[in-house]
Amino acid sequence: MTSAEPLLATSGLTREFGGITAVDGVDFTLADGELCSVIGPNGAGKTTFFNLLTGVLEPTRGTVEFSPSDRDGAVDVTDASPHETALLGLHRSYQITNVFPTVSVLENVRIAVQAHRGNDTWRFWRNVHAFDDHFVEAERILERIGLAESADRPAETLSHGEKRSLEIGIALAGDPDLLLLDEPTAGVSSEDVAQVTALIEDVAADHAIMLIEHNMDVVMGISDRVVVLDRGELIADGDPETVRESEAVQRAYLGGYEDDGAADAGAGVTAG
Amino acid sequence: MTDSSERPLEVEETNRGTRTDEGWLSEYARDHVVHGLVIVAFLVYPVVYDLLGRSPLASEAAAFLPGLTFMIAVLYLGLFAMSFDFVSGYTGYLSFGHAAFYGTGAYAVVLATNGKIPGVPADTPFVLTMLLGAVLAGVLALAMGAVSFRLTGVYFAMITLGFAQVLYELVRNWGYVSPNPSEGATVDGGALEVGVPYVDSLGLAVGRLTGDSFENVLGTGFDVSATMTSYYALALVVVVCYFSMQRIIHSPFGKAMIAVRENEERAEAVGYDVFRIKMGAFAASAFFAGIAGALFAGYSRSVSPESTYFFLVTADALIVTIVGGIGTLAGPLYGTVFHEWLGDVLSTEDDGIATYLRETVPEGLLTTDVGGVTFADVINSVVDGRAPLYLGIVFVLFVLFVPNGLLGTVRDRLGGTVAERTGDVLERYRR
Repeated sequence: MTSAEPLLATSGLTREFGGITAVDGVDFTLADGELCSVIGPNGAGKTTFFNLLTGVLEPTRGTVEFSPSDRDGAVDVTDASPHETALLGLHRSYQITNVFPTVSVLENVRIAVQAHRGNDTWRFWRNVHAFDDHFVEAERILERIGLAESADRPAETLSHGEKRSLEIGIALAGDPDLLLLDEPTAGVSSEDVAQVTALIEDVAADHAIMLIEHNMDVVMGISDRVVVLDRGELIADGDPETVRESEAVQRAYLGGYEDDGAADAGAGVTAG
Repeated sequence: MTDSSERPLEVEETNRGTRTDEGWLSEYARDHVVHGLVIVAFLVYPVVYDLLGRSPLASEAAAFLPGLTFMIAVLYLGLFAMSFDFVSGYTGYLSFGHAAFYGTGAYAVVLATNGKIPGVPADTPFVLTMLLGAVLAGVLALAMGAVSFRLTGVYFAMITLGFAQVLYELVRNWGYVSPNPSEGATVDGGALEVGVPYVDSLGLAVGRLTGDSFENVLGTGFDVSATMTSYYALALVVVVCYFSMQRIIHSPFGKAMIAVRENEERAEAVGYDVFRIKMGAFAASAFFAGIAGALFAGYSRSVSPESTYFFLVTADALIVTIVGGIGTLAGPLYGTVFHEWLGDVLSTEDDGIATYLRETVPEGLLTTDVGGVTFADVINSVVDGRAPLYLGIVFVLFVLFVPNGLLGTVRDRLGGTVAERTGDVLERYRR
């Protein structure tokens, strides 16, 4: 117990859907300030893993513990609901753009700031403009994600790349201790990937991040650490170089590719 | 790049910069120019209508303008529709059982005034029984919501409708209400007053027959009828309720309601307890629906299951909300004006367009026979009492071509709420 306890720790985390085990006995810890990428073939259980951490899904077995910066010690968030984990400091972005479409870009971020300010939401007799700090904070975040000049536009009119940035902005607004980014570059044109990557690196300077990503250049370029999920199991964990060289990982990815083309049985043999 | 980095400051200025420069009172007045105009229009309407009735245009005014009793219906039905829109338009949960809250407010007033609610004396002032009805409606909403908010979308709409229909059947057969519950109940006692409770001089009695009336007001030779008094008394309550609801919509809580409508999953993910937000919105909405029902009961002095708990009461609110603009608080009021106007001018009673045409079109034209059909037949079949037909057609056209409704479309054109944008437009002219 020399260093502080981990920011996040799961033990034996398992989620079964009927007969399918999407996440299988994952033991995982994350230190504060780390940028850890989660990779794996399609269907490996990466997003399910995120859903278990944020409380969207309840685990079949296992526990999740989270140590928010404003509390002493770890909090068991295994059965917490999504808004509870969010208020503790666990925020996420989504693989498929998931913003508040018809309200302004500024309001998208401001509403997330407001959520974090607890009881302000229940002051129904005050005008929203009485809470200047919400706006100041939201404008600061828009500045950071490079959308300040689009503040008054409805979110649905943003380009896809801008929406991806807004995704991260909304997650940032809750002043997260840990940010879970689910494929932030999904669907982003190759020219704009650099921009999103730069934003992630900027955010990583003062936040712990877990990143699901398929773009290996991004993963290998910015991660401190990479973990690999395959069929719900954590099969590799280490710095990017080690993971890249790992035989198990290459097998998993090859197995994944074979899954697409050849029969399941063949893939099973390869991976087994 | 330098260009774009300067722009945010401008944006900020137009958003909020003016708020500190001006006094809050003048700023408030500027923000509420449109509200003021609408309120003035509602205030002068009865007087204008009355004056027109004595002018040479009397028959035209009677035929083409809504009468005062219809404008009173605009007030309580409009408030009900606004309360429906408050939850349906801002959280996205269609409250198809909203009539239950309207009915609860209405029946609470009648039962309380008749001394049938234990612990509430029969002479309790109307304003207090009205609040009682509204609170009961809010409590009912919490009970209904606790079950219904487990569902979303069309299933939520259906389960609330189911609850309301159950209550409708219960009230129809509940002998305690009156000897003939399926016909409803009437207020037995004296006039009901809107005003400060227990202060007689600060109250206005409402009701078509029981309301206060004033002759030769301030020596102007102008008489204020009981109906007109009721109109102003009800309008006062509706204005207070409107501004209360508007206050909530513009509060942090209202913004959270909109977040739930826009994207409930994300609202929860950023830290909102969406269940509590929805329950709060539902209860507040039911509270104001209860007030609307209480106003209806206080004015009409009789309630029936058909006019309160029945699902078509909700359907009317839905129609005027769509026509007026769902998700705009004032829109349903304008939708209700349209609805009631249509109902009046196409009514079979003697101040509608049908009567007007029969009296003013020359006899020869009325009886001209074209292929066995006379003009009089046409009036009888397509004008006289055909308001529901045209309302239905207008509803279909609005859903198809004006999905944002009257006020929603105006807002889209102006690029913001009418109140906000009008202030800016006036500002521009002042410079």
